[in-house]
Order: sequence, then C-alpha cells, then structure tokens
Amino acid sequence: MGTPMMEPAQAEDSQLVQETLAGNRMSFQLLVERYEGRLFSLARHYTRNPVDAEDIVQEAFLKAFRRLDSFDGRSSFYTWIYRIAVNTVLDVMKRRGRSPVQNVEDPELVGEARPVSCPAPDAGLHTQEVSEITHRVLEELPEIFRTVLVLREFEEQSYQAIADLLGISIGTVESRLFRARAKFKQKLLALYPEFGGA
Amino acid sequence: MEACNQQRALIPSYLDGELSEAQAAPLRKHLLACQDCRNQAQGEKSLKAWFRTEGPAEVPEGFAARIARRAFDGDTGEPVAPLPAQNEAPILRFVLAATSVAAAVLLILAITLRSSDLPSSDRLRADSDSPQQLEEVLRELDRVNAKAALEAERK
Repeated sequence: MGTPMMEPAQAEDSQLVQETLAGNRMSFQLLVERYEGRLFSLARHYTRNPVDAEDIVQEAFLKAFRRLDSFDGRSSFYTWIYRIAVNTVLDVMKRRGRSPVQNVEDPELVGEARPVSCPAPDAGLHTQEVSEITHRVLEELPEIFRTVLVLREFEEQSYQAIADLLGISIGTVESRLFRARAKFKQKLLALYPEFGGA
Repeated sequence: MEACNQQRALIPSYLDGELSEAQAAPLRKHLLACQDCRNQAQGEKSLKAWFRTEGPAEVPEGFAARIARRAFDGDTGEPVAPLPAQNEAPILRFVLAATSVAAAVLLILAITLRSSDLPSSDRLRADSDSPQQLEEVLRELDRVNAKAALEAERK
C-alpha cells in the first residue's frame, strides 16, 4: 500500500507542522501566514469589531499550536485549522450568551418553515451597505442558522464540508439551510420592510 | 404540480452546485418549461445576492509573527477568567467583607451583653436579683430593724 498522494500545499503544510513540532518558530509563523486571511474572513461574519475578530483568530491559532501534535495529516491542515476556528467562534459566541449551534430543541427552530419571497438588494446599494444589512439580519438569527449561512454563502463551503465541520449529516445541513434561508428572508423583511415593496 | 413540488425542492441544492448532473439535467429542463418554478429559482438567487463578499479580510500587520512568538512563549490564548466572573469578583469580595465585619460586631456585642449580666461581686443587689431573693433581703432587713428596735427599747 502506497502513501496517499498529497497536494503540494498539503505536503508543505505537513512539513511545516513537523518543523514546528521540532521547535521551529518560523515554520509556525509561515503556517499562520498561509491561513490567517481565511480565518479573519470567517471571524468577521460573527463580529464587526476588528479587535474582537483578532481575538477570535488569535485564540484559534494558539489553540491549534497547543494541539499540533494531534494533527495526523489525514485531512488537510486547512480543514483541521478551519474546524478549530469554527469551534472557537462558536465557543466565543456561547460565552457571549448566544445559543449553541447544536441546539435544535427550540420548537421555533424545528417548526415548519414557510416559503417567503426574497427581494434582491437594490442595485443602488454599495457592497458595504449590503454587507451591513446582511450582517444585521444574521445577528438576529439563532446561531444554528447563522453558522450554516455563513459557511455556505460567504465561505462557500460544500454541504459535505459543513457536515464535517459541525458534526452533522448532509441531510441535516440541507434542512438547516432551508430553514435558515426562510428565517433570513423573514427577518430581512421584518427589519427592512422597505425592501418588501418590490 | 407534483413534478413542480419535486423539482422545487431541488432548486436550493442546484444553485449551491450540490446536484449531480443526473439530477441537474431534468431540473434545468423543467425550469425552461415552468414559469412558476423559474420565479422560485429567481427568488433563491435574490437571496444569494445579499451575501456578497466584501473582498479579502484585513489582517493586522505582523499578526503571524506575533502569534508565533506568543505560542512559543507558552501563551495558551485562553481567556484568563470568564467575563462574568470578573464582574462578580468585586461584589463577592464586598459581600464577604461585610459579612465578616457584621459577624465580628455581633460576637463583640454578645460577649459584652453576657458579661454585663454576670454579678460583679458576691453581694446580693436588689436591682439585679430575682423577686424571691428580693423578698428574702427585705425579710432580713425587717428582722434587723426589729432586732434594733427591741434593743433600743431595752436600753
């Protein structure tokens, strides 16, 4: 049995992990440089405050460093560090009083999702304005829904990747996304009724 | 209508690029023929338009070097103490201090009151004795007075 083929970046990551474990600080710095942008991109969908976003990413990388010897290379380093980042974000949200992502007991969350037509953003709105509105609406959603929307719509993760990250089945990802989108439309129109006129 | 319901359920996955070609081809064909389902697909696309990316996230300068240094310095990155505990600490300290002071004051008062109840000498005192003792004292006084009067008469 041969060793499974690795992408060049994945092989480089594994090499950097080994060097870090051997005590090479620069190798860990290179790993951070490779993935800091993606982790900041994730964090900014949970907090609009840059200092808070930095705290989240920092906590994720330091957590990863502590657990580096448990990285077995079966998944890519990116998948591994991204999973730690998602869990860190959810931990931080929990510490701030947001409901955990696994909580599906709330009847409101498991109830029938009514289809609502969704208006597109006005053509005159700038990207920044659209983003502010979207994040304002996301802030109102239960964590369970915000996370699947962030991972799917902003982070463009596949259903399988979302299932792996959150430890749920693909079927659950699909149904959760369906409900999350319905909730998003409802909240959007409740907070910004002016978009409902079209 | 049954065909519409079946195909509509696939629209979100189709737009997410999650359908196989075997699933996507009949849906595309259906959408070309069905205005209602096309409208539904358009609505789903409209929702996606709200999730525009703002471009690459800004990373603070020197972030990676800082993190690597902190990691190798043994910084765990874990919050030192949960925020609520930090807020509660001064209140808790105040309550504990106030309780200790109150307990000490009560103890001193109890000792003082108890000691003031104890007789300060062997002699009986009318102001602090029981009624039976008072009666006895009075009887003793009567006897002393009677004896003194008798002696005075004899003289």
